[in-house]
Amino acid sequence: MKKFATAILAGVAMTMALSTVAEAAGKTIAVSWKTFQEERWKTDEAAIKAAVEAAGDSYISTDAQGSAQKQAADIEGLISQRPDVILVVAFDSDAILPSIKAISDAGIKSIAYDVQFEDPNALYITFDNIGVGRIMAEEILKVQPEGNYAFIKGDKGDPNATFLFQGMMEVLKPSLDSGKIKNVCETFTDGWKPDNAQRNMEQCLTSTDNKVDAVLSENDGMASGVVAALEAQGLAGTVPVTGQDGDKAAINRVALGTQTVSVWKNSTDLGKVAAEAAIALANGDDVSSIKGVAKFSGGKNGVEMDSILLAPTPITKDNIDVAIEAGHITKEEACAGVKAGSVPACG
Amino acid sequence: MSKESASTPAAAPTKPLLSRFLAATEIDTRMLGMVAALFAIWCAFDIYSGFLRPNTGLFGGAFLTPRNLWTLLVQTSSIAVMTTGMVLVIVMRHIDLSVGSMLSLVAVAGAVLQVFILGPAIGVGHPAIWIAAVAACLVLGTLIGAMNGFLTAYAQIPAFIVTLGGLIAYSGVAFLLASGVTIAPMDKTYKIIGGGVPESWLGPTWSWALAFVACALIILAVANGRRQRKRFGFQMRPVWAEAVLATIGSAAVLGTTAVLTSYPWPFGLIRQYAADNDVTIPEGVENVNGDAICMAADRIVRCTEGLIYYTGYAAPVLVALAVGAAMSFIATRTKFGRYVYAIGGNPEAAELAGINTKMMTVKVFALMGFLVGVSSIIASARLDAATNALGQLNELFVIASAVIGGTSLAGGIGTIYGALLGALMMQSIQSGMALLNLPAAFQNIVVGTVLVFAVFVDQLYRRRVK
Repeated sequence: MKKFATAILAGVAMTMALSTVAEAAGKTIAVSWKTFQEERWKTDEAAIKAAVEAAGDSYISTDAQGSAQKQAADIEGLISQRPDVILVVAFDSDAILPSIKAISDAGIKSIAYDVQFEDPNALYITFDNIGVGRIMAEEILKVQPEGNYAFIKGDKGDPNATFLFQGMMEVLKPSLDSGKIKNVCETFTDGWKPDNAQRNMEQCLTSTDNKVDAVLSENDGMASGVVAALEAQGLAGTVPVTGQDGDKAAINRVALGTQTVSVWKNSTDLGKVAAEAAIALANGDDVSSIKGVAKFSGGKNGVEMDSILLAPTPITKDNIDVAIEAGHITKEEACAGVKAGSVPACG
Repeated sequence: MSKESASTPAAAPTKPLLSRFLAATEIDTRMLGMVAALFAIWCAFDIYSGFLRPNTGLFGGAFLTPRNLWTLLVQTSSIAVMTTGMVLVIVMRHIDLSVGSMLSLVAVAGAVLQVFILGPAIGVGHPAIWIAAVAACLVLGTLIGAMNGFLTAYAQIPAFIVTLGGLIAYSGVAFLLASGVTIAPMDKTYKIIGGGVPESWLGPTWSWALAFVACALIILAVANGRRQRKRFGFQMRPVWAEAVLATIGSAAVLGTTAVLTSYPWPFGLIRQYAADNDVTIPEGVENVNGDAICMAADRIVRCTEGLIYYTGYAAPVLVALAVGAAMSFIATRTKFGRYVYAIGGNPEAAELAGINTKMMTVKVFALMGFLVGVSSIIASARLDAATNALGQLNELFVIASAVIGGTSLAGGIGTIYGALLGALMMQSIQSGMALLNLPAAFQNIVVGTVLVFAVFVDQLYRRRVK
């Protein structure tokens, strides 16, 4: 306990030192990250930091290391440094609420970054998740407007698996109702695991005698299993397959033609938009004056909050260059094994 | 031969025919029960799937078709290989909870080596790549296994804790190795081990050749067993019982081969192959007997000339069968195997008898690790990708297969063939339910229930036998 107290004291001392520096440089934007265990958050951080520093403001951050408790302490620490705006990537969207209230009470603006917490005073910035499902369905309809569809859904315990499916259904409902499209297989995949997806796809192909015309896989990892199953039946490349996340391997499959689309949420974009919104808030602009802000009440408890929902980018054969130019993947990685002249970006 | 007549106990004539038959052939009744249960499950799936969507299976469903049985064997291979090692670990009164995470780690390491390191360095597709990747997976698996064994034997940490730590830690290492990304595609030659490409299918000719060699070996083994019993003056089976055993064994081999060689290449692959090799596909003729197949519209039919392509044994199945045979040999015919069972039966007695139990523990865990290496190659080659999610929770299926197959968690008891059957049963249930499009939650409930029920039945059986 004593050690802990000393650590806090040390922290406070450091933050005091930091805050004096911060005031000298203009506004201060703080971020409380939930973890850096997953690769993507480093990309987000780089984008936010770059945008904040480009505006002449300063950036401070904490890493909760996957603990709701540590995140509460982190936020207390950040408040005491008196930043102008705090962005929060909540580890637990309920447990974070008292901390968010503390931020408001201190007169600091808060932004829910990527993970929603339902506080009416906060601005929520994320990608449109139901939209991802919608985009997948739209892309697949473009290439395969009718026939037998198979749905490889994510883990049954993850609400995102259902959101994605909802989005798909919004687009596909008319075709399903008219009978142009038939739902021949629909399975959840334990743990979003590629090998489970592969087995489910193999059994789907066996039960339908290969009469599957399109596969809607809810992410890129599972798409790798789906494509492996199709390949063993000589169907890879002829049956369109969806995915999301912009996995490097998936972008390569898109270039090779075995996957139709990978819906990509560009973290760099998200970070940039969030940083710009934060800077605007720090400068005292009204929330409603920020570009793209709309009301959102689709959360668990239906609390209405201001939000910016970014549209994700569908990566297909025709626009692989977008991911290459954004530095997300190198041309060599994207185009490995691709026949010359078959994909514009690969030359 | 007075010894031969002694093999039939004096009370035998009063016993029912079946038990006299079983006593004479020395067939494991437990295994007989498992085979019967497996067939019952298969038939049930076939009948049920036939109701949903009629197909060409034995009972009008999609389960008992050559295609599904072929797929089933490929799907079982990776777990089956690990199960054979787990039998020895459990027989020695240990457990290995880390095999799933270890598989992720080894598969990711192998993939990093071939895709990120060797690919760019010596050129994608270089023949050295797959050899290096295979060797690396096997060595890494063996080393990690040996480490588990060392900590268990010499640091005296219970295997449960060592491997529980491994379960958590190895998946972390797997994540860090590739920072969580999916690594694909694998080397072209490496992929052959996974069974997903035509190059990895033995084809009818070689499959049958292999089957006949296997039959010859079975007959030789039976004959040799008889000679050995005679030599050491052991009880002998009646000649007819030996003949029955040889016949059953050969029939099983030939039947499996017949099923696997009657699964034709998928339509799409024949078309690809024909396009790649400038072969014209002849018009299909239906209902004509011949040794070739052609295509008519979207189906494959038999015809008198054209492209002969049946799959036969797939590479991962061959690997699993070879591992099963080798492990059976090790467990029952070598000093090493005897020591394992001796230690499992009574560790103190084994140690007092001069067996280096600590070194044996390291060796058995290292063997387990080696087999995880084999499985990791099969799993990543089959998926044509490696991720840190690959193999997660496999330990549960591996342990469940061994236990369903009759391995006793109390140690000392367990057979390789039983565990292989257990693995086939677990996979049958999973694949069958996926075929019926049942929700994943339901699949988990059934698999869990079957595990507990199988052990319950086993306990009843053991008590009755005693």
